[in-house]
Amino acid sequence: MKLIPFFRRQTPARTVHAGGRALVRTGVAIGLAALAWSHGATLHAQDDPPKQIDVSSLPAKIVDEVVVPVPTEVFGVLDKLGAPNWHHVLRKIEHSGTGERPQVALLLGSVIAEGFIAVEAQEPEEVKEIGRRVLSLAEAIGVRKSVISRTSSIIDSADKKDWGRIRVELDGAAQDVRQAMIELQDEQLAQLVSLGGWLRGTEAVTEVVQKNYTRDGAELLHQPVLLDHFQSQLDGMNSRLKRNTLVAEIRKTLPDIRPLIEKREELSKENVDKVHAITRDLVKAISAQES
Amino acid sequence: MNLPVKIFTCYLLALVCFLPLSAPAYATIDDALSFALEAATPYVKEGFTVREDYWGGDLAVKQKKTIVHQLFKGNEYWFWMGTDIASAKISVHIYDSEGKLAEAEAWHHKPHMAAARIVPKATGSYYLVVEVHSSPEERTHWALSYGFR
Repeated sequence: MKLIPFFRRQTPARTVHAGGRALVRTGVAIGLAALAWSHGATLHAQDDPPKQIDVSSLPAKIVDEVVVPVPTEVFGVLDKLGAPNWHHVLRKIEHSGTGERPQVALLLGSVIAEGFIAVEAQEPEEVKEIGRRVLSLAEAIGVRKSVISRTSSIIDSADKKDWGRIRVELDGAAQDVRQAMIELQDEQLAQLVSLGGWLRGTEAVTEVVQKNYTRDGAELLHQPVLLDHFQSQLDGMNSRLKRNTLVAEIRKTLPDIRPLIEKREELSKENVDKVHAITRDLVKAISAQES
Repeated sequence: MNLPVKIFTCYLLALVCFLPLSAPAYATIDDALSFALEAATPYVKEGFTVREDYWGGDLAVKQKKTIVHQLFKGNEYWFWMGTDIASAKISVHIYDSEGKLAEAEAWHHKPHMAAARIVPKATGSYYLVVEVHSSPEERTHWALSYGFR
């Protein structure tokens, strides 16, 4: 079956009719070759994906899982656009790590995001401190074991100033913590880790873009799919979590960001300022000693 | 042989028979991911950072799945797909938010693997379409990983 499109591409029917038997023989030879190497024919058939798909009725079922980008994906673009002063964006972590579990989960995500900022700022001591904080927050939430090797590697790599390795370990720490929480039937808390990281990452990005506004920089905030993902996770949380003051506040405030970032061409300096104010206040609430 | 010993022997036999059958079922997405990461290896040397997070599942032959993913203009991305079945033909392709094919290149000539690269022209949501074109198995496990630089 896969032979047909391959044969047609090699020897269009029009040419076969016009060219006589020699071309027919060539076509048959190509066809036989294709049959003999059906593996190759399959590859050719697959070489031509549709140039256009109808997104309103996708040809395939949509996978529910959303992979949240790591802050570095955005920070790297900002680095290419200019030379942001990451030292100014980097913040000391003052929270002791005590509090209700939803707050600790949000804080853990936000501290991991801070780790990515510390890497951008190339501050080894801050990175080490963040590594230790990640471990103590993971302990507070009952998943210490899952990140011990990651945090050790973060601290060791900070001594060596191996920034690439630290980025990998921070991403891995977030992933391992979430996985450990899922295994403990705490999937919704795991979602809060991702949300905390996204909020701190977005606050940092808006701070950089605010200081040196460019259309390309502002465009990085056009993330409606991620906002919808977080909103739907918050809406689907159990009533105990929804009643948590901090979670309730984030759930109430997050929809305010959607209209500000919805249209790529409308990401003005004013909108960036507004997104920054919203995320700054939410991160402040996450980092407050009592929620 | 007394009854408890018989029961224990039967239990042991059942365990020995079924364990090898059940273990691969759990291992298959991990195996698929291993191949996706193997596909990524040469690109790591070119400066791509591979994410720890990934997508995975199983598909019937000719079945497609779509993943919606956020990409940022200014980065370059590779998406690597793997399967545990060597003779399965798989592919991954990338479309922009309007449904236009947006990848810079794609390949699927190696056993167990397929990949696609994109340099996004705009920041926003993109559609990753994964497909199993042919496979000797009824369901084919797959995993999709990505990297950026």
